[in-house]
Amino acid sequence: MNPRVILAVALIPLGLIIAAVPANKTKQFRLTAPELLQETATGSQFMQPDAVADMLVKNDPSLQLIDVRTPEEFAAFSLPRAINIPLANILSDEYTDILNQDAKTNVFYSNGTVQASEAWMLTRQLGYTNNYVLEGGLNYWFANILGAKEPSSVNPSEEFAKYDFRKSASAALGGGSVVASDNNTAPAAATKPPVANKAKKKVTGGC
Amino acid sequence: MGPLVANGIISENTNLLLAFFIGIGFGFVLESSGFSSSRKLAGVFYGYDMVVLKVFFTAAITAMLGLLFMSLFGWVDLDQVYVNPLFLRSAIVGGVVMGAGFIMGGFCPGTGICGASIGKIDAILFSVGLFVGVYFFAFTYSWWEKLYKATPLGGKKVSDALGMSDGLFALVLILVAMGMFYAAEWAEKKFPREEY
Amino acid sequence: MAELTKKEKSKRYLNPYLGGVLLGLVLLSCNFISGRGLGASGAVKSVVGASIQAVDKKAADHSLFMAEFKEGHGDKPLKNWLVIEVLGVIVGAFISGAVWGRLKFRVEHSPKITSQKRLLFALIGGALFGFGAQLARGCTSGAALSGMAVLSLAGFVTMMAIFGTAFALAYFFRKLWI
Repeated sequence: MNPRVILAVALIPLGLIIAAVPANKTKQFRLTAPELLQETATGSQFMQPDAVADMLVKNDPSLQLIDVRTPEEFAAFSLPRAINIPLANILSDEYTDILNQDAKTNVFYSNGTVQASEAWMLTRQLGYTNNYVLEGGLNYWFANILGAKEPSSVNPSEEFAKYDFRKSASAALGGGSVVASDNNTAPAAATKPPVANKAKKKVTGGC
Repeated sequence: MGPLVANGIISENTNLLLAFFIGIGFGFVLESSGFSSSRKLAGVFYGYDMVVLKVFFTAAITAMLGLLFMSLFGWVDLDQVYVNPLFLRSAIVGGVVMGAGFIMGGFCPGTGICGASIGKIDAILFSVGLFVGVYFFAFTYSWWEKLYKATPLGGKKVSDALGMSDGLFALVLILVAMGMFYAAEWAEKKFPREEY
Repeated sequence: MAELTKKEKSKRYLNPYLGGVLLGLVLLSCNFISGRGLGASGAVKSVVGASIQAVDKKAADHSLFMAEFKEGHGDKPLKNWLVIEVLGVIVGAFISGAVWGRLKFRVEHSPKITSQKRLLFALIGGALFGFGAQLARGCTSGAALSGMAVLSLAGFVTMMAIFGTAFALAYFFRKLWI
């Protein structure tokens, strides 16, 4: 039989099918459930608030705080140089470059840890690394970093060191109350976060 | 599942090993189809041998349909497959220069290597010429750098540029290619050459 | 041995449609395995860059091309997917030539020109192609064929430029071929 006819009979129906069926836009899960469970069990997704405060005070450029609360809550208060990616929109394509990259350390935070942990789970499922959760969230932050309480004299010296650090950090970070006020050092960041400078190593190719 | 390397299913070194075997397949099919013969390759421009058109479009459509169907079944993640970026000006200028090289040399790099491998001396010289051209480019790069980097448009897809879905474009391409195949058979009958 | 007629000769080549399907399958598996398409001219660039580096270790300091090459290729420019693939192509073509009985040193040329003329044009054509492939970041295998398989606009643009130009110039070089 004429090869062209064979080809036509094979290709045209396939072409019709592929044209008619909508494309598969699901983002594939990279980790299996047991793998994900194992990672959460170690608690490696958490980043300690002291560590984050330290990076903020030192102006470490590799830190990127991500506020996963609603834009309204973000506008009311946000941590220094944080950007806002509301949890509801976290799977949107416009944030992929920020969430999936090797250069910066992204730290999700919310009021507690629930929303931030959810954000971590979702992005980890997609295979992204370099994302963490601020342990304790903003509630712990306010209570213990910004409003650090002087430990009583019987506490070990590490507690005093921690207190000293937190006191100076809170001063540097503009310690204040939750109530929206003009004392906030956090700049009113635009809701559209800037694109990361270095995207994750993309597939290379070409001739 | 796929691409296997990007998803960590095979290692980088396995990838390099497989590259060798993929290359063997590539070279074997090219030579078996007659692409090691410059006169067969040039035939598409004069009508007497349309093998380039038939193989090229059949291959592109086969691979395209394969990828689209695999994506549909979730077997491959198309976001992880390399789409070569468009630098409009350099692509066009480079393409024009290559076209001139094609009609004069009768080969392209892939087919030239195949021809050289089976002993065609014109293909060997063509391959030498490739190196000459690339050395020239390397040493005069400063003259071309601006052109080379002009108008970057990123990894744009044809379907996006035309405003249609990938699948619809594939269908259109299939229909166009089938038309071209019929025209090709007609041309080969009209412009025959007995021996080459 | 009598010269084979065209019919007999064509029997020793694969049917082009079959060849196309096979090539498409090779390309498909290539994309599935490594997430990239086939290529050829890039390997030439790697070898050229590696040779310049070998001769002049500090080439990256005074040549912008070499600086960018070093950035893209790193310290082992030959341990590169394309270079290894091209080595495979050489082997694959050789095997095919052996299987079909086409291994022979010869110059293939139209009876209307001399073999010297053919060789000269092969060299010139190669130089033009090598240069053009660098500018366009690909050749017919890498940019055009592999590009079309992933629906890349660059692939189509490059392919149309190559074939359009070749068609346009075909008349002027017809003596080389017919």
